[in-house]
Amino acid sequence: MIGQTLKLQVHSLQDIAPGLRHLRLLSVDGAALPPTGAGAHVQLSLPGTARVHRNAYSLVNAPGSRSAYDLIVRRVPTSRGGSAAVHERLQVGDVVEALWPGNLFAPVRRASRHLMIAGGIGITPFLSYVQDATVRQAGFALHVCCRESEQDVFAPWLGSTEGVQFHWNAEGHRLDIAALLTEQPAGTHLYVCGPEALNTAVLQAAEAAGWPANQVHTEHFGGAQTGGTAFEAVLQKSAIRVQVGEDESLLEAIERVGVAAPCLCRGGACGVCALQVLDGEPEHRDHFLSAAERASQKLVMPCVSRARSAHLVLDL
Amino acid sequence: MIPPSTFTSRPTYLSLQPAAGPGRHWLVLQVGNVSDTLLAELAQAFAPVQARLHIVWVGAGEGAPQQAASLPGLVPYGPVLALPDLAALPKALAQQPVLVSDRLYVLGTEPFVWAVADVASHVGWTHAQWQLCHTGSLQRKVWCTHCHNITEGVTSSIVTCAGCGRNLLVRDHFSARHGAFMGVMVDAEVPGVLPEAEEIFP
Repeated sequence: MIGQTLKLQVHSLQDIAPGLRHLRLLSVDGAALPPTGAGAHVQLSLPGTARVHRNAYSLVNAPGSRSAYDLIVRRVPTSRGGSAAVHERLQVGDVVEALWPGNLFAPVRRASRHLMIAGGIGITPFLSYVQDATVRQAGFALHVCCRESEQDVFAPWLGSTEGVQFHWNAEGHRLDIAALLTEQPAGTHLYVCGPEALNTAVLQAAEAAGWPANQVHTEHFGGAQTGGTAFEAVLQKSAIRVQVGEDESLLEAIERVGVAAPCLCRGGACGVCALQVLDGEPEHRDHFLSAAERASQKLVMPCVSRARSAHLVLDL
Repeated sequence: MIPPSTFTSRPTYLSLQPAAGPGRHWLVLQVGNVSDTLLAELAQAFAPVQARLHIVWVGAGEGAPQQAASLPGLVPYGPVLALPDLAALPKALAQQPVLVSDRLYVLGTEPFVWAVADVASHVGWTHAQWQLCHTGSLQRKVWCTHCHNITEGVTSSIVTCAGCGRNLLVRDHFSARHGAFMGVMVDAEVPGVLPEAEEIFP
């Protein structure tokens, strides 16, 4: 049921560490929320100073829970507005609109074992993984790269720390990715969620260590880098020209002028928002299109990608 | 060569090529179905990984020596593990814990390669770890949709089911789990009236 909206009310806001805020949302009418699985996310419409920000956040609830949605948001210094809205403006009792939860990062049920690597706030999807019965039954190892001081912050979700190892940036505490990925038993699935540099390092190390590609999964942070040079988008079918500002994404600009554009993850991962390019040169920033699709210049993912040319003509 | 099929379940087979990566390579060959030419091609393809190559020769029969002395073409790659039949394979493939970096390459008839894949999956291998290649006879295993029995060694387009005796049309619809093709009763409307069987899987 992609696309249906929910009205959620802020039940509590709690700072669990400097820059980390735990947010609990309940349904406004008290009805049970749509159930979610491990790795699911929910897209919130957050009130900004100038406009509404739509950001996707991982749910840290136990799989199947329908009473509340819990998420943890890190304050990002260069926030485009989403994390600033959660940390500065959102109050208990506020009502926010959300899309039905989606899941682009579910654990693979047939895995014989689950190996997870988290970087910073990238731990959030794994907080629901470790509460998942299938994951627990198969066995898992969770390696968390974080600040030394943040080790205990996630204890309420991790339960026991069995299977969990923390790493931080100090001699003797750094994660040796290559060593970890060597000699893992067949059937193990590898998941990584963290900053771009960690994701890339893990994917490269996995390939070098001989992991089959279909046993390696990654989730990228959305919204990390959507701004850039302003350009003009031409929506051919709608006969609308829209200026895409330096600090907004192409998708946000399209939504601003009221054109319906389907989307799901808003982070360049799911492929739902892909649009046909009729003219102009896209600047690809997504993780979805293949190298051949990028080279063809025929498709663009407006949630993260922009234009190298002054104009980008879209079949929309 | 198997002719192309319009059935998407019909497997296509490529020649075996060792994957990049640091893992061990297991080459499982079916006795009697791998020609000397093919062995020479394999020897050339697997030369770069010979230090990490394990060769298993299946179907050598009862009383076969545990270590076959040699295999034409693959001689330089050291000893070969010879197994009397497929039943001995699970133990051989599970001798050491299988790692994500290990790869399995199987060459033989279609029923053979899928039987090896089935054995491998039961001892921890995943499908992304194996490459299967068909050589030799085109004979098929046929799975009856009515009684669920398997008829082995089918060479004709219509076959009598070994389980229920129905006349089955052998379709190109393939089950990787059974390693078999679907057989559907061909004379259900008018019993006994059936097209002529053709020998198309020699």
